[in-house]
Amino acid sequence: MYALCDANSMYASCEKIFDPSIRDKPVVVLTNNDGCICAACHVAKRLGIDKKFVPYFKVKEDLERAGAVIRSSNYELYADISQRMMDVCSRYAPNSHIYSIDEVFHYYQGWMPPEGWFEHARAIRRAVWQEVRLPIGVGVGPTLTLAKAANHAAKRIPGYRGVAVIDDEESRRYILQHMELTDVWGIGSRLARRLTALGVDTVWKLANANPGWIRKNFSVLVESTVYELSGTAKLGWDDVRAPKKEIYSTRSFGQRIYTPEDLLQALTQHAGIAAAKLRRQNSLAGAAIIFATSSPHDNQGYYRKHITHRFAVPTEDTTVIAAACRSALGQIYREQVPFYRCGVGLVDLSDKATSQHDLFNCSVDNSELMACMDAINVKYGRDTAHIAGQGIRQKFAMRREFLSPQYTTRLSDIPRVKC
Amino acid sequence: MLRFIPIPAQAGISGFESPAAEYTQSTLNLDELLIDHPSATYLGYAEGESMVGEGIFSGDLLVISRFEKVKDQDVVVANLNGVFVCKKIDKRRALLLSAAPGRAPYHIREGDDFQIEGVVIRSIRLHRPLVKSI
Repeated sequence: MYALCDANSMYASCEKIFDPSIRDKPVVVLTNNDGCICAACHVAKRLGIDKKFVPYFKVKEDLERAGAVIRSSNYELYADISQRMMDVCSRYAPNSHIYSIDEVFHYYQGWMPPEGWFEHARAIRRAVWQEVRLPIGVGVGPTLTLAKAANHAAKRIPGYRGVAVIDDEESRRYILQHMELTDVWGIGSRLARRLTALGVDTVWKLANANPGWIRKNFSVLVESTVYELSGTAKLGWDDVRAPKKEIYSTRSFGQRIYTPEDLLQALTQHAGIAAAKLRRQNSLAGAAIIFATSSPHDNQGYYRKHITHRFAVPTEDTTVIAAACRSALGQIYREQVPFYRCGVGLVDLSDKATSQHDLFNCSVDNSELMACMDAINVKYGRDTAHIAGQGIRQKFAMRREFLSPQYTTRLSDIPRVKC
Repeated sequence: MLRFIPIPAQAGISGFESPAAEYTQSTLNLDELLIDHPSATYLGYAEGESMVGEGIFSGDLLVISRFEKVKDQDVVVANLNGVFVCKKIDKRRALLLSAAPGRAPYHIREGDDFQIEGVVIRSIRLHRPLVKSI
């Protein structure tokens, strides 16, 4: 059996843990740089102010009227809470696989909890609430896709109250019959439209479709989904974990940037962030996409420009990628443009372990230096060591106007308790 | 592990190199000494003098565990109407007790927003204030 534990409105829930004064209030969290709404707690959802990815300035007044509490993304806090949640959850299973910041899968092999699956799932949920103060939903099923479906039921289908188990024909039928096609893992809206057009217009029909026919008309992936929905495991960790095919580091600036020096610093910083992520998954980048734009909301014309820089030899070296940014700058920068956003994307990734050497082009990567820099930054915090080109004082630091304290990761931010 | 201090604090005997150095098992680590369940443990600063009878003074560091079962007369941190408070809990009479002379107990009433947040398992006296490093 598999279980999926998934936090409810993770970011908004994290904000409530250390601020009891907002526990019953509608809380919404904004994306990087306070751009858009990215999470809303259930109170906010009930009030209808959970406009996901709507720009904040557009709904600012609605939010004020509803008495909503606004928070900037506090990733330092969310990452720490996430790790606590994962620690507690993984006590309950022999194998677990962290899928994202707020989701973890369990795999029980042949083991059965003596108290039964429902009680087991409830115990996980209760422990995470008690020890972390994070509300989660737990779904249990014989395949990853059914565990995901049960998790959906736990949170969305009335009557389940945070825990759902698919362990017999009846529970499988009931839950699948109460889902929309797009609620199924791996079925996007376009795929759902095509399925509907061919007469497979419910999840139950999809679960009972002929796998061969599905493969012929769609893909092996949708065929696997059919098997998984009918209870035959087809997906494993490796299918759901495939390493990222591209890595982006991009961000909008707290204030507009006008000089080439500032733009280069920002690009260089993104080169460093993306390269560190690249090294963490042991990949090499074949090319970098380097870009900068003005804001589409500024009244003078929108400007965007991107350069794709192909490396002679795939690289993982921050200095090589930063040098590419420097050479691209002349083509990207334009005077008088109020730059609002820039970034570096690393694409055409390959596995470092199986990389081919080139007789005529030698890699200039300094892997030892990079490993040393990464080790320093893991131990002492991000950006302790970085290449000088990104500058020491940054004008374009993120705007986080509504940032809560970093309650668990910074001495000065530890909560105060009245005695 | 709590990750708020970047370098684990260690206490060991030093001065001359011990001939037994090779047999050292491990150095002591404050996290291990003070924290039983890292993922359920939180830190807070005490503010106020109402718990001096329990040895908790203003400015002390509280180690709060959400793992522990709350027992009668435990020192706890609770959410009382949107504020974290540190008190002794009298479960049978639904009272929050202070531990300083002249402080009346607080009777938890219906309509109060009240939850116990965790048990204070340790308190640490900061004879000198914490210095923020790095």
